[in-house]
Amino acid sequence: MTDTSLERVYCPVCQARFRFAPGWKEGDSVICPICGQRLALRKTPDGWTGDRAKAFSEDEIRERSDEFARIRGYVFNDMKEEILEGLIGKQKRFGDFYCPCRMMHVPEFQCPCKPTRGGDVDRNGKCYCGFYWTKA
Amino acid sequence: MTENIKVYALSTCPYCKRTKRFLDEHNVHYDHVEVDTLDDAKQDEILEEIERLTGRQSFPVVIIGPEVIVGHDEEKLRRALGI
Repeated sequence: MTDTSLERVYCPVCQARFRFAPGWKEGDSVICPICGQRLALRKTPDGWTGDRAKAFSEDEIRERSDEFARIRGYVFNDMKEEILEGLIGKQKRFGDFYCPCRMMHVPEFQCPCKPTRGGDVDRNGKCYCGFYWTKA
Repeated sequence: MTENIKVYALSTCPYCKRTKRFLDEHNVHYDHVEVDTLDDAKQDEILEEIERLTGRQSFPVVIIGPEVIVGHDEEKLRRALGI
């Protein structure tokens, strides 16, 4: 019997590992608690990983950002749709949903970017791009 | 408007779009460069120029004569343009 409390799931978006909850099984649809990405659980020889649901689609980034905001208790403002449009533009031009306000196309700037995942919104009231905000 | 106005932008940046829309609405003529769509060598050259002017790599950058405005700031744009 494997002790699932010690197992982790690798998220390909934020490239971190989160705790495997009791009762989860292969193919289950779960939300990464770090970045909000929806993942389908898959067992590999190296452990659990998540496959991105609706990968690279507009639905994917919309759900991810809504889930991330819900988990952290953040809100959006009237820039939401324009920023989403920028994120979709990044995916089309540079291959993934990188921060539309930055030059660099690297995994740490995948939205929500690493500084945002690390608490920038709580420190500054908003993320670098002004997408996620603390509640007024 | 006789002054040479330059806008450095990213093709995906919503604030850059707002700045360009503001200038268009006020019939201001400007040159604009979408830095992220340039080839690597040209991109490095422009980024160095932006860092020299502003001390960082933040967009949009609007150059109006001696004024350098970083970010979408309608009040600063109005003041610099005298509108």
